[in-house]
Amino acid sequence: MIEVEGLTVRFAGVTPIDDVTVVFPGGTCGLIGPNGAGKTTFFNVLSGFVKPATGSIRAYGDDLLKMVDYRRARWGLRRTFQTEMAIEQLSVFDNVAMIHEHSGAGRASRKADVASAIDYVGLEVPPAVKVGGLGARDRRLVEIARAVVGAPKVVLLDEPAAGLPDEETEHLSRVIKGIPEKFGALVILVDHDMSLVQACCTTTAVLDFGKLIATGATADVLRDENVMRAYLGTEDVEVAEDVEVAGDGETSEAVP
Amino acid sequence: MISFATTTIFGVDWIFLKPYIVVGLALGGVYALSGVGVVVLYQATGVLNLAFGAIGAAGALISYYLVNHTSTPHWIAYLACVVFGAIVNVVYGMVLGPAFAGRDPLVKMMGTLGLALILLGVMAWRAPAGGAFVRVLQLPTSNHRYTVFGATVNLTQILALVFALVLTVGTTAFLRFTKIGTAMRALASDREITATLGVPVRRVELAAWLGSGIVCGAAGLLLADLFTSLDYTALTFLVISSLAAALIGRLQSLWVTLLGGLAVGLAQAVATPYSSISAYRTAAPFVLAIIALLYLGRHRTVTLSRTAG
Amino acid sequence: MLGLTGSPAELARGVIGRSAIIVAFLGVALFVVPAVLGGDWIKTLTAVAIYAVVAAGLVTLYGRVGMISLGQIALLAIGTWTATRISYAADLPFPILLLVTGAITCGVGVLIGLPALRLSGLYLALITLMAAGAVNVVLTTINFPNGGHGFTGRTSTRDLSGLQPVGRPGIAGGDTAYYRYTIVVCALMFLLIAAHFASKPGRAWASIRESEPAALATGVNIVRYKLWAFALASFTTGVAGGLLAAQLGQPTAFGFPTQDSLTLLAAALIGGIYSLWGAVIAGAFSQLAPFLFQAQWGIDPNFLLIIFGVGLLQVLLTAPRGIVVQMPKDIANLGKLGAHLFRKVTGGSRSPE
Repeated sequence: MIEVEGLTVRFAGVTPIDDVTVVFPGGTCGLIGPNGAGKTTFFNVLSGFVKPATGSIRAYGDDLLKMVDYRRARWGLRRTFQTEMAIEQLSVFDNVAMIHEHSGAGRASRKADVASAIDYVGLEVPPAVKVGGLGARDRRLVEIARAVVGAPKVVLLDEPAAGLPDEETEHLSRVIKGIPEKFGALVILVDHDMSLVQACCTTTAVLDFGKLIATGATADVLRDENVMRAYLGTEDVEVAEDVEVAGDGETSEAVP
Repeated sequence: MISFATTTIFGVDWIFLKPYIVVGLALGGVYALSGVGVVVLYQATGVLNLAFGAIGAAGALISYYLVNHTSTPHWIAYLACVVFGAIVNVVYGMVLGPAFAGRDPLVKMMGTLGLALILLGVMAWRAPAGGAFVRVLQLPTSNHRYTVFGATVNLTQILALVFALVLTVGTTAFLRFTKIGTAMRALASDREITATLGVPVRRVELAAWLGSGIVCGAAGLLLADLFTSLDYTALTFLVISSLAAALIGRLQSLWVTLLGGLAVGLAQAVATPYSSISAYRTAAPFVLAIIALLYLGRHRTVTLSRTAG
Repeated sequence: MLGLTGSPAELARGVIGRSAIIVAFLGVALFVVPAVLGGDWIKTLTAVAIYAVVAAGLVTLYGRVGMISLGQIALLAIGTWTATRISYAADLPFPILLLVTGAITCGVGVLIGLPALRLSGLYLALITLMAAGAVNVVLTTINFPNGGHGFTGRTSTRDLSGLQPVGRPGIAGGDTAYYRYTIVVCALMFLLIAAHFASKPGRAWASIRESEPAALATGVNIVRYKLWAFALASFTTGVAGGLLAAQLGQPTAFGFPTQDSLTLLAAALIGGIYSLWGAVIAGAFSQLAPFLFQAQWGIDPNFLLIIFGVGLLQVLLTAPRGIVVQMPKDIANLGKLGAHLFRKVTGGSRSPE
């Protein structure tokens, strides 16, 4: 379980995350929202690349923000990035093993853990092959294998399906759905592919302009009026009203 | 008039410090000039031109040759230095600029290192320095002397300082009020968006290279005079002092660059009469640059982009 | 490159093949060269080995971690100075002298690196340039020790005849013997660096170079590994400096101009900054080429600066992996072209277009 309370991030005159309080109860949780809503920033706060102005994050009872960034991986925080970042000159094995190497886990279990992770994601490539020679799908799987090897506690997946064809998305959804059960980790999935989110995530939270606008069971959230408005924009009539109000010098808030 | 003649600062009489202050301000003026040129070029193109000094030195050598080995009128010879600076900068910027366009600022800077090496090689090859032979390029303005606050100042030194001030004011106004200047500022803050806005990027970059090239040539000429001997290796590495000024200005603020340049010039010159540190005074620009860099990088940044090769 | 990937059989073949090449190379260097070449050549080749080690430091810092240092020659100068000073102060066995020099230079490198680590690529390069300049000023002022007393170890006596040069190891007093000694020590330095590349720090460096956020997310302590790289490069450069001290006998500040840092970096990039063989090529370029130009061919060695500058630009723009990767490709292409032409000439109308 991850408890976020009053999280606010500010830099250079923008507030990408604005007083967000949300709970990720467990299993696979979705985090969705239009572009620029603050999802990747949220992941960056969890990873430690961005310091929040205020707020706290407790994960499995531990204060995450107090941990130095590189130690969070050792604690069990794992992550994939929007632009895939597997290390091209190293082999599949070395890429996946790296987290293991730096997490203080013993050498004895390394080979087995890495093999098990590679096996789990369904990567059918000899582990000694250099990642640089693999195609996009396999590279994504390497990244996911990296995210689940060893004993992960929290797995952050940032648009893992981006750029993949539909058949691969199905395989991906099976892999993601199974992570909590197989590895005992909490997964937070960010993606724009709603069918993937629906298939994998039991609960979902929605961000828009840095604010939390909905949270709960995925099916309910995806039907929520506010969520649809955030993605699709307001109705014509209401837009016109907003414009007039703004012209009078009053600020127009996005209708909650 | 109040006389400071009897004041001592750390053991050296004020009256002995005065000439060094004058020299320091003049040199500082040229460092500031070059610093402004470096900053504007960096902002508009992303290129930190480390060949600045080498280009100026080469231009000064050309002027020297024209003055001493041909019958070219002197003013044309001096103009040649400025023109040379402009030409080399523009040619480099327009020919190699596009090739480096998408690369990291680090790679762009290394490209200018290549240019500096080429120029150093040409200068060492065609105009070897050696032994007792010393080249001197003295500008005619150095013959006019004045007394200011009891210190002797020549016209070149005054010009250096005045140019620095005028350039800072002029460039700041140019950047704020003209179309090209605004385009340069836009490029500095976001290249990709600016290009999509229909701004003629190549033309703006050309203006930046041309402007900094002219400054480069002028600085080379002034430094050759102020340093009393045309040592092209020393002149080449004077880019460090200009760099120090630019870094003190955080590669952004022209006014702070001006102040930084003056500070570097003063620090170096005023240390001369203090025998305990005098030998190390040439390290002043390096030390100041290091401090500026450490201050610039004080927030721990995690580079969020793939390092370019 | 020393990446160990591929099937087990391929791996085995790769390691054996590479080791064979290295052994052959060393064999030629140690035994064939001294038999064939004399005097000045040997001295130059000793310098080639030494500067190759310095270039290997650049390969580590930039090729592996992505940090540019524009001041490696200043570190070399510090190493040479330290070795010179210590050799006058104490009578240490030469290998110990080298180790101590390496350790001290390592300390200096780490001290400089520590505050500089948080800087981005451009600023880090600039700060190394500035630090090198400052070191140069200090060295030009205090100059190199020559047997005198005090910290700087320099006497100002006019009579220089009584001054001893820096001592060489007992077994390697003469030029040829010292050449062999240097080759062995330098090979050991290369081995040390290669061992790093092939194990945990090498992999961590590769991940840092590829993407710092991803490395952090993997749990890599970036500060520690960057410092490690600085320490390794400084240690090996320090040892090289010690070797240089005994090679020169009486080093002076003029042997370490700032522009040498630039030319060595250019040479390393041209030779191949991602491979240790590239460092060997860089050492050859920066030391052998001037020797050939000046002593053998009678061409002005300043011309080399122009070549380095052009080469640097070319490498940055077109072949970032350098000669060590580009030349085999070019030769292969040339070979293909030759084979194609040969077929055309001999195969007649049957050769497919």
